[in-house]
Amino acid sequence: MSEDVLIASAGPLEGTMKNDSLPRQLARIATIARNAFREAVRDRVLYNLVLFVLLLTTGAIFLGELSASQETKIIVDLGLSAMLVFGAFIAIFVGVGLVYKEIERRTVYAIFAKPVGRGEFLIGKYLGLCLTLLVNVAVMGAGVSLALLYVRGGWDPLILSIWPAVLLIYIELMVLTAVALLFSSFSSPALSALLAFFTFIIGHFSADLKTFAASTGTQSAKWFFAALFYLLPNFSNYSFITPAAHGQTPTASAICAALLYAVVYVTILLSAATLIFNRRNFK
Amino acid sequence: MTNMQDQQSRNSFFRAGRQTVALSLIILLGLAGVVGLSRWMEAHRPPVDPNLEEEQLYVTGATTRRLSLSFSGLVADWYWMRSLQYVGRKLVRVEDNENLQGQKIELTENEFFNLKMLPALLDATTTLDPQFMVAYEYGAVMLPLIKKDDEAIALLKKGMAANPTSWKLAHHLGYIYWQRGDYRAASETYDAGAKLPDAPPWLAALSARMLAQGGSRQLAREMYGRIYDQSDDNQVKEMAVRHIMQIDADDERDTIRRILSEYSAHHAGRCATSWKDVYAGLRASRLKLDAATSAPLDPSETPYRLVKDGCDVDLDLQSQVPRK
Repeated sequence: MSEDVLIASAGPLEGTMKNDSLPRQLARIATIARNAFREAVRDRVLYNLVLFVLLLTTGAIFLGELSASQETKIIVDLGLSAMLVFGAFIAIFVGVGLVYKEIERRTVYAIFAKPVGRGEFLIGKYLGLCLTLLVNVAVMGAGVSLALLYVRGGWDPLILSIWPAVLLIYIELMVLTAVALLFSSFSSPALSALLAFFTFIIGHFSADLKTFAASTGTQSAKWFFAALFYLLPNFSNYSFITPAAHGQTPTASAICAALLYAVVYVTILLSAATLIFNRRNFK
Repeated sequence: MTNMQDQQSRNSFFRAGRQTVALSLIILLGLAGVVGLSRWMEAHRPPVDPNLEEEQLYVTGATTRRLSLSFSGLVADWYWMRSLQYVGRKLVRVEDNENLQGQKIELTENEFFNLKMLPALLDATTTLDPQFMVAYEYGAVMLPLIKKDDEAIALLKKGMAANPTSWKLAHHLGYIYWQRGDYRAASETYDAGAKLPDAPPWLAALSARMLAQGGSRQLAREMYGRIYDQSDDNQVKEMAVRHIMQIDADDERDTIRRILSEYSAHHAGRCATSWKDVYAGLRASRLKLDAATSAPLDPSETPYRLVKDGCDVDLDLQSQVPRK
């Protein structure tokens, strides 16, 4: 058994890190995040932007013909929906590989041989992917704004009013990344991706879960659906694509509440992921 | 030894080159084959059963909305474009029908168009995106044309419930009531619309005039003028223009009939044999005349024709002015 393996299997270097200062911990997390971002760029994750640009350009040119003067609405719908779909794919498929790849390539041993806690490692990886998604979403948002500028032949209020919806999409993707990371902390990438995908779908059906809970006859079913409603992330809090296409913007309080909900939820998910990851034996 | 190595590397280089060329050729030929095959299959595809196209939507708008996750707006766009293409496809099919060549067929003629799925498509569109104003507007104009007034009213009432501050929907609903001849309901709807925020003052004026002059052409002209001004949809604007042309043509024909009957009265009951006989009267009435034949021109610049042995006037068969 190599030294790295021994250190890694012993868990985080608790003794070394117990008295570590917060700035040093943050510095380590930032380094891991930076590397996770670089790795995503090296893995050509951002190439999806090319596909997105092609989709929008084609949409901008041809939709005017097909939609009877509704091209601005359709471009916003198409652009923001594509942003969510592409982002969800990245969050799920890159998210589930974040930890697994390190274990598979055995680089995790080298990392844990250094004074890096497992929690720091997970948070760093998470923030790295969030940074990748931020770049992705920001470029896509700029792409939608440019497409609107082209279609309207000049300024349109929609160019600005879509950005709160873009922010909500980004927050949703942050939660989804945390979900993917949690699943990947204890299961295989394929299963993690599947579970994260199901969570994404069910998260959008939250309103129905609540209705089910209210309408079912038996008390146990009521409890079950109510528990699911509160346990699973409610992604409908972030669904603002359709109103955004009509130039509507969410209220500041709605955005703050959605952000707070995401912070709480991500904290829970990352804590759970760290808890599970701490117990993993890398022998 | 070196020569042998050179020879070997040259051979492997040429082999690789030959392989690249061969593979490129296979790809190109394959693509050409795919294009050819696709064209052949398209040409030999059996015609689609028209009944299948008219099948009702399997999933209601509400269910589709639930299934569409965050993408209900995008799915609504898809339903919207499907509605437009549904109408467009039928129009193209009628235009391409050799048996109907040369005939002018209006959308109102249900035996040719049979747009029975349109209400369901528009309902799904607006359920998926309740703020899709253009879909309501399109339904308000198209559905009464195909004698689906009740569906149009239901669509607009649904829209007004979802968008309680939109005076435009009240305007469209009032238009449908007015078209049905229900001037009281139209007046009440315009009155309700006039009370909404940002409603233009002419809405209240229309409400008052609706009761007094509901069936007048003057009011009709104003109604279509307002629809033209308020709409962003080219098809709706086109419809409004066609209706205004129709009203103008009705006015012009009334004037021409008056001139023809005056001529007949002055010539012992004999009707005009050509437009030249009534040239003076037509000019005095400031009607637009054809330079060569002196025939009055309708709003689509097509000469009117004399009918009933010169005692009456009608639109020419080539005229772009709608008859009904």
